[in-house]
Amino acid sequence: MSIVLDKVSHIYDLGTANERFALKDISLQIKDGEFIGLIGHTGSGKSTLVQHLNGLLKANYGTVYYNGEDIYAKDYSMKKLRQKVGLVFQYPEHQLFETTVIKDVKFGPKNMGLPQLEVDMRAFEALKQVGIGDDLLDASPFELSGGQRRRVAIAGILAMQPEVLILDEPTAGLDPKGREEILEQIARLHKERNITIILVSHSMEDVAKYAQRLLVMNRGRVVLDGAPQDIFPHYEEIEKIGLAAPQITYVMQSLKEAGLPVDTSITDLEQAVENICRYTKNVN
Amino acid sequence: MLRDITIGQYYREESVIHRLDPRVKLAGTFIYIILLFIFDNIWGYALATLAFAVVVKASRIPLKFILKGLRPILFLLLLTVFFNMFFVTGTHVILQYGIIRITWEGLKSAAFMGIRLILLILGSSLMTYTTTPNHLTDGLEKGLNWMNKFKVPIHEIAMMMSIALRFIPILLEETDIIMKAQSARGVDFEHGRVWTRAKNMVPILVPLFISAFRRANDLARAMEARCYRGGEGRTKMKPLVYARRDRAAYLLVVVYIALLIAGDRTLAYFL
Repeated sequence: MSIVLDKVSHIYDLGTANERFALKDISLQIKDGEFIGLIGHTGSGKSTLVQHLNGLLKANYGTVYYNGEDIYAKDYSMKKLRQKVGLVFQYPEHQLFETTVIKDVKFGPKNMGLPQLEVDMRAFEALKQVGIGDDLLDASPFELSGGQRRRVAIAGILAMQPEVLILDEPTAGLDPKGREEILEQIARLHKERNITIILVSHSMEDVAKYAQRLLVMNRGRVVLDGAPQDIFPHYEEIEKIGLAAPQITYVMQSLKEAGLPVDTSITDLEQAVENICRYTKNVN
Repeated sequence: MLRDITIGQYYREESVIHRLDPRVKLAGTFIYIILLFIFDNIWGYALATLAFAVVVKASRIPLKFILKGLRPILFLLLLTVFFNMFFVTGTHVILQYGIIRITWEGLKSAAFMGIRLILLILGSSLMTYTTTPNHLTDGLEKGLNWMNKFKVPIHEIAMMMSIALRFIPILLEETDIIMKAQSARGVDFEHGRVWTRAKNMVPILVPLFISAFRRANDLARAMEARCYRGGEGRTKMKPLVYARRDRAAYLLVVVYIALLIAGDRTLAYFL
């Protein structure tokens, strides 16, 4: 059970003067239950890549396999695929359209043709998972705050109970508290339901804390692929493509250069504090 | 999905036609279209086609690209030609089969109508291909400045036009994203009956309207924050000034008119 990309290339405006590569020969495997951080700066092809995973965009070259099946095969059901691979777009709150919160969340499961009771159950559960209280069920989505609206929109995808959940910049435009809340909820979902999560972001800070595996993209290619602690020591390479490593990496790196033998692969704040304390105590 | 729409599209290229003052191009196109209707004889159309070919050559836009602009009106074009061919009554019958009757006059009228329509569309689209929307509205504003005397708010109209044009690609892109997002939630836009498809428009239109209002609101605020207060006393960073090539272009338009009239008179004299 996995998603496999086999030499996927995507070209925008093929055959016109504006022709350009958005994805170049990407091959990778995403295993079940992984928490992946997909990073790259604007225009690196992150959004294009994730839209291939649920068939919204079709590769010009190469194929995508979902659980071993070629999604471009003639009799493959895109509708089924989109139920299994849930994609939350950037600014998902801009896609809300129903009169009440609960109706909007029910939209996805309803399109799946589920029985009424099941639709209701899933909608309630999804809203609970994103932390929207019962008092807001019948409110208009447009009365909510920005962060709440985004959580409702995410619930709309969760209610379809996908096996893979892709979130494209889920924290864009939120304040630090809202960011933290959304990311914590996603991490909890991953832990409790063991679904595959792909978190798209241009901020290492966001991703480093939660992802088990990082994919760094630049100009339509995956340039780095590995666990965060293996990737961040390459921070010079990361800077070269216009991204920054987490602040912790910089702190640890400077300490090491100053002569303290700290572990530079640490990305978690508490671990870092502990690690530094250990050596500073030794010094004293 | 919606990338194919080409209304008011601009084709980037370095050419004399691109560099012309937009007022020249506006006036030229306007005159060209009017003359198409006045001189509806063989000489008129021949000269108009020739003039069009010359401008296309000078504009350096591939002919294939320009002809693509005909695709949306292909149906209308065929319908017009069809009706003219079969329903224009005349005396010189070429073919008669039952109630179907094709006359020489009908064929002539069909051919002329077709050519006129094609030149009309291609001529005006050539203007938008070679002029950026901003340039176009600038030209319109300055060219129609005299209408201010008759209390026509020409600056406001030009501003509304440029904003509307600016919003077309933005809203198209937005529609594309919303359609994708709703597809991800299981809406099927490609299959189903007419009624379900119509119902599927709601999840697109509602967010689209909301986003249009939000953007309009943002833009209004941004304009106010920059102290925009209408056209009076407003100056331009790059004011439109006629250059030599613009005067030459006006001269060519006059020559074109003269040639049309001369040819028309000669034709009338011989027939």
